[in-house]
Amino acid sequence: MKVVSAILNDVGGLALFVKDVFQTGFRTEKNVKPILDQIVDVTTRSFTTVAFAGVFVGAILVLQFSLILAKYDAQTFLGGLNTSAVVREVGPLIISFLLAGKVGAFTAAELGTMRVTEQIDAIECLGTNPIQYLILPRFIGIVASSLILLMMSLMISILGSMMVASVTYGIYPEQFLGSIPRFVSFGTLAAGMFKSAVYGIIVAGVACYKGYTASGGARGVGRAVTQAAILTNLYIVIANFLTGQFLDVLSALSKGNAG
Amino acid sequence: MSIRFEKVSKSFGPPEARKTILKDVSFEVAEGEILFILGKSGMGKSVTLKHIVGVMKPDSGRVFVDGKNVADLDADGLSEMRRSCGMVFQHPALLDSLSVYDNVSFGLRTPQFNRGRPRPLSEAEIRQVVREKISLVHLKDEILDLSPPEISYGMQKRVSMARTLAPEPKFLLFDEPTTGLDPITTTAVNDQIQELSRKLKVTSVVVSHDMGCALSIADRILVLDQAKILFLGTPKEAIASKETLIQEFLEETLANQSKPGGSR
Repeated sequence: MKVVSAILNDVGGLALFVKDVFQTGFRTEKNVKPILDQIVDVTTRSFTTVAFAGVFVGAILVLQFSLILAKYDAQTFLGGLNTSAVVREVGPLIISFLLAGKVGAFTAAELGTMRVTEQIDAIECLGTNPIQYLILPRFIGIVASSLILLMMSLMISILGSMMVASVTYGIYPEQFLGSIPRFVSFGTLAAGMFKSAVYGIIVAGVACYKGYTASGGARGVGRAVTQAAILTNLYIVIANFLTGQFLDVLSALSKGNAG
Repeated sequence: MSIRFEKVSKSFGPPEARKTILKDVSFEVAEGEILFILGKSGMGKSVTLKHIVGVMKPDSGRVFVDGKNVADLDADGLSEMRRSCGMVFQHPALLDSLSVYDNVSFGLRTPQFNRGRPRPLSEAEIRQVVREKISLVHLKDEILDLSPPEISYGMQKRVSMARTLAPEPKFLLFDEPTTGLDPITTTAVNDQIQELSRKLKVTSVVVSHDMGCALSIADRILVLDQAKILFLGTPKEAIASKETLIQEFLEETLANQSKPGGSR
């Protein structure tokens, strides 16, 4: 019972914190430079990791799909199936997991240290809103970067998959690329972007919340970072199921209207 | 420009293990006065300071700063009030990502500071103020381009003071300003508290463990114990007090003074 209460308390606190961030974003004057700095910082810091992950995720999916497609002699569809899976499901999930481990943990540690060394209290006492000054640029930076990184990793993943498909199964790049439009529509791309944005909000929200509310010295910062990493991954898995259901319902509704 | 506590109570913890930190605490700090708050750890000294800047709200009672009840202030009013209260924290609390110059000038760039001014300060004017405050805390301009981790802890504390002084607050609040400092830097910081308070004619509240310093620079001393005010009076009255806790503080001060390099 205590665990359930603690989880509900945590989710409630997180929801109120994210609401506060959105309200501050709408209410206050936005300073574009720190937001752009954060986007550039997060994107450049995570690009190498995301690029490597993109290549190997694409390669793994090629190996898996080709085993199934070979049974039906339908390997020409490999490019389309592979890209669809990366855009809609695997890409957003892997990128958000990587962001949680890299940027999320860094942000929680940075904000947690600022909290326990009274830097956030000092900002407040100097008449500045810490949510506006510290949280908003990081929050927008992480969400925007997750979208940019998805697009980048998608392109890298397609290239990686194409190379593996060509070398391992002798599928020509034209064949690979030609099948993509049959499986990847604007809706598929929109679904991938939507999921990335939701996961980005989770990574940014949990990391900022845990860091901002850290207490109890170095131990407290360590606790905040661990909690941020575990809870982000847990919430992303739950959100994956919920967004999948939501997009399925949307898709069914749009087909019903079209029919 | 006074600070007034009226029957302020504050407790922490879950209902089954609630701990009362302040119980019906009332006192007033007059304009231009230096009040030292002493007490053992966990007796509510820092909690008292946090009530003044509105970071904490009392469970009951009222806190008035400059005649305004802190609990009644809206977000803008609270920001404005906080700007008038310069707070020096236990840690230097400098922003590591900014240079010393940007840290000291931080408060001069906020909307609250520029409110009511015909125009925001120019960069040249900001530089001028930063140089004045840095020299006021006996530091040199050479450190302005360095980042906080590149200077010593004692220097960081003094930069923190310069940052607090830059927006010209009406109240100065010090939360254990000499914690973690060597005896020589402690003496220098204590001298600066007195010098700044007298020179700038601001109302000061200092939370400290240092009875020696309190006796030499405070106008009045307040001792907190068991959630209540144990003593409130002048340094002379403190020396004459028969309270056991105050006697302990005085004995500790005498013992420190007899050590080579001990505080005054």
